[in-house]
Amino acid sequence: MIEYVKEPFSDDESLAVLNPYVRAWFTKNFTELTPPQKFAFKLISERKNLLITAPTGSGKTMSGFTTIISKLFDYSLEGKLEDKVYCLYISPLKSLNNDIHRNLTRPLDEVFDQIIKAKGAKIMKENIRKVTIGVRTGDTLQSERVKMLKTPPNILVTTPESLAILLNSSKFVENLKSIEYVIVDEVHELANNKRGVHLSLSIERLADITVNKFARIGMGATLYPLDEAAKFIAGYNEGKPNDCIIVDASWSKKLDVKTISPVSDMIYTDDRKVEEATYALLDSIIKKGKTTLIFTNTRSGTERVIFNLKKIFGYGDDIAAHHGSLSRESRLEVEDLLKKGSLKCAVSSTSLELGVDIGSIDTVVQLGSPKSVTRAVQRIGRAGHSFKAVAKGDVVVLNRDDLVECTIMLDAALKRHLDSFTVPRGPLDVLAQHIVGMSLTKKWSIDEAYNLVKRVYSYSELPKSDFMALINYLAGNYVGLESRRVYGKIWYDEKEQAFTKRGYNTRLIYMLNLGTIPDQVACEVIVASTKKSVGSIEEEFLMKLKDDDIFTLGGKLYKFEYSRGMKCYVSTADATSPTIPPWYSEQLPLSYELANEIGAFRLEFSKVLEAYISKNKVKRFDKGEPIPKEALEILDKLPADQNSKEALYGYFMEQLLFTKYVPNKELLLVEFTGDISDYKFYVIFHSLYGRRTNDALSRAIGIEMGERLDLDIGVMVNDNGFMFVFDEKPEIDEKMIHDIISSLSRGSLVPLMKRNVRKTEMMKRRFRHAAARSFMILRNYKGFKIGVGRQQVNSQILLKAVEDMDPNFPILKETYREILNDVMDLPRAEEVLSKIRKGEIKTKFIETSLPSPFAHNLITFGHSDVIMMKDRHEYLRELHKLVMKKIAVK
Amino acid sequence: MKLNEDIDLIDGFPVIYIKSLNALVVADLHLGYEGVMAKKGTLLPKVNLRKIIDTLSIALTRTKAKTIIVDGDIKNEFSRVDEEEFNELYDFVSFVRDKGADLVLIKGNHDNFVEKYKEPFKLRIYRQEARIGDYLFFHGEEFPEDIKRVKMLIMGHEHPAIGVYNGAGKKEKLAAFLVGTYKRAPLLVIPAMNYYAAGTDMNFQMKSALLSPVLRKVDIDRMRAIAIGYGSTIDFGTIGKLRKVS
Repeated sequence: MIEYVKEPFSDDESLAVLNPYVRAWFTKNFTELTPPQKFAFKLISERKNLLITAPTGSGKTMSGFTTIISKLFDYSLEGKLEDKVYCLYISPLKSLNNDIHRNLTRPLDEVFDQIIKAKGAKIMKENIRKVTIGVRTGDTLQSERVKMLKTPPNILVTTPESLAILLNSSKFVENLKSIEYVIVDEVHELANNKRGVHLSLSIERLADITVNKFARIGMGATLYPLDEAAKFIAGYNEGKPNDCIIVDASWSKKLDVKTISPVSDMIYTDDRKVEEATYALLDSIIKKGKTTLIFTNTRSGTERVIFNLKKIFGYGDDIAAHHGSLSRESRLEVEDLLKKGSLKCAVSSTSLELGVDIGSIDTVVQLGSPKSVTRAVQRIGRAGHSFKAVAKGDVVVLNRDDLVECTIMLDAALKRHLDSFTVPRGPLDVLAQHIVGMSLTKKWSIDEAYNLVKRVYSYSELPKSDFMALINYLAGNYVGLESRRVYGKIWYDEKEQAFTKRGYNTRLIYMLNLGTIPDQVACEVIVASTKKSVGSIEEEFLMKLKDDDIFTLGGKLYKFEYSRGMKCYVSTADATSPTIPPWYSEQLPLSYELANEIGAFRLEFSKVLEAYISKNKVKRFDKGEPIPKEALEILDKLPADQNSKEALYGYFMEQLLFTKYVPNKELLLVEFTGDISDYKFYVIFHSLYGRRTNDALSRAIGIEMGERLDLDIGVMVNDNGFMFVFDEKPEIDEKMIHDIISSLSRGSLVPLMKRNVRKTEMMKRRFRHAAARSFMILRNYKGFKIGVGRQQVNSQILLKAVEDMDPNFPILKETYREILNDVMDLPRAEEVLSKIRKGEIKTKFIETSLPSPFAHNLITFGHSDVIMMKDRHEYLRELHKLVMKKIAVK
Repeated sequence: MKLNEDIDLIDGFPVIYIKSLNALVVADLHLGYEGVMAKKGTLLPKVNLRKIIDTLSIALTRTKAKTIIVDGDIKNEFSRVDEEEFNELYDFVSFVRDKGADLVLIKGNHDNFVEKYKEPFKLRIYRQEARIGDYLFFHGEEFPEDIKRVKMLIMGHEHPAIGVYNGAGKKEKLAAFLVGTYKRAPLLVIPAMNYYAAGTDMNFQMKSALLSPVLRKVDIDRMRAIAIGYGSTIDFGTIGKLRKVS
């Protein structure tokens, strides 16, 4: 059973579970227990499965380790401590592993020193030994590995990948059989991806060989739903989750947050003024505190902020950037300076969000929306000097959609409404890898192996047929008998219903190719006609590109033509706008839950304004008008400054006066409109259900619409909706929109989406990744050269061959699952469509002569990166002026 | 599709039929390809041999040809013989024999081994080029020598294809025959029969990037591309013109 423990134990009660030496050490070094520690000491001493969430810097590590260290010293004092691993600690970050090693070495040394002092020479006689710790990652030297094999550390610190290797080292595995505790740190970094699923399979394989059942301890920052994370950590048994206790100390830090708008008018203020005001605001925040941490959402944004702060205010080396593109050394240096407190300000994209200790921060500033409540809480949670301090965070917004989004986000954070994550369900490629790994250790009966796999939460509902499909694939049963020697990775005895290893090479192949992280490569962008290289894009970005997509690179526009291998071929585009924003891959998607919160706010606020408008017969809205009482009552409850409140009020009023409708939680507004500048026609779905849902919805609706109109249509997706772009005026009316939506029934949606997805580059590449994860393509053989060395078997042909052979081939099935469920959110798209069918969400079709205010950001972001930021603002302003004129005329 | 009085391009397949020889001509089979790739770590499903046999069965039935000429690269690996390749080669030779046809091999750059099997398989093997009837067959990695009074030069090696855009603007690769002249002799390049060879889109390639020295010598822009796909064979005009679609 999964249960929550809400009441902490008293410090005395907690300390009582420790042995005298560890207790003495702890009380000497800490004056009191931190919130997670107040729960963990006692519960771990009872050897319960445990999930602890708490903000970074709240003594999480010691909450997990103190009791275990105490337990191990108990063994030592009893003379029973052996050269065996008792505690396994796994973290996804190598850097964190070294931190842990450093941080635990001191207590282990000091406690042992006290024992020596107390016991003197008896130590030898009573076989009292020091509790040891060791790190084992991909970086560990061969000599150390050999040493570790002979004398394993009592606490082994490792990564998911190294654990998988250890499980298959026939010698080392003996040292793991004694494990009593398994700690998984940074659960939030693992539970929502395949790497985490891979780890949970390793953990169940470990559980299968240990002498005693070990206690599982998961630790992580804020995440939701905790029940899911608990199932991920504790695993399943006979179709039910194992017992696990959840300790939610994520809210132990109080939050003091608000959105700040640098100017009151976000439309008509001159760009230079907005920029000046923004930097002046940043400067004043930095000057007020000792250390400020600024988060931007992109690496390029980080660089820009640093550059401008230095240029305008003359900052020097007292401010520094920290992001993933910087070298490890420079990142470590910044972390070090932060710890020492010698930086005034650090600017980061995502890299300082989690993990390493960075000392004390006065204020966290977030520039633009972080797109998810959880992320906002994690980032702002980095502020505050101790676990008792208040975390102060300011979110600076730059446009009106951002403003609504951030205000509601902070409101949700204060109400502790987080967005949810999902554990990938039953990925077959990851499982294929582990079946090969398992086959190397012994002969397995099919049922025994299948039952083990089902103990992993992600596979708890895995159909036997899927499992058998993998066994057959891995046994090479898709080729003739005589070729299985080469194709087979496992040996499968159908009569006996058992499998085991096959061939001599398999072990080597397994060890060299295991893991789930695809090699992300920068893809060269080449102009097809001239073969000139114009730069590079991330593979993730290339995957998103469909035929005819136009994107910017280095300030120029290119049309995607085709990709070959890791190269992207383009032509120079003479279009005026990109169809896909260049920072697509860098930009974080808006979460489903946050979108819903915003939708709820829009509903509430627009109702009040509608009443106000009709009561007072309001016809027009003028900037600077005082906010009426009933609206102010709602706005005053929100964590926003005065500028923001005024801007919010204006935004909603304009939309209502222009169209009568504010799209909200219960209203999907479909707007048919045109462009003032370049004779384009838009059908805009003001769909607010998170971007992954929008991604799926827009594709499904787009194919249906394209087929009905028999036209090629461009699609643009963002967080606040999606939009179809036409060069000629399409014949669209309310009925057609209704017909399209009602035709998208549960049964037809999946095949429709598959058909669309099948045509994308993403499909080819995700297929290649899945094929690599399931050892169909081995990664350590770069490229797939045909003898002559020039023509490549591209994933396209491989994909076709596999489809021809078996449309349900497990790797193919997994590719579709991953795209539809992990990359996009098809289940939620289905949910939205069903709500529309049931009338819980109403659709309203309107025709507007100009795009309505709520559509402006969606439309302008298409123009944004061609004409760059300045012109974008210009364009937005022009649109706005026209809308305002219309309202005034009415 | 008829290329001329004597030569027929079998619709939808990379196969030609020469009436005067009553022979089918194909190139670049790369038998055993999947097996070789499997050893390098890419587990391609085995489809190549099956597709080749299917195609040739249809072509043999349609034409009643009595000879199959393989214009080089019947198998994949250089020099060495791989067991997978041997098995597929054996199956292929048996298939041709069962159909009551003769097999003629022109040696390609991948075929250094085949003479070893000349005896057991009773193969007719030509070392570099072969003059059969009025035609000169050669693989294409070296220049042909005996080109005087030849009705047509026939080669493989290049795996030619063209890149075209379909209605939705999606680029597609189609395997294609190339028809042109080399030193005033008519030249025909046969596309690869291997299932996994996507081919080289000639209208996207610079001359210097071409594989065969022969094609680097001729003006490929003036060569006609006859593409195959979706069950038919259609003349797409010259490579030079096709460059403009790219």
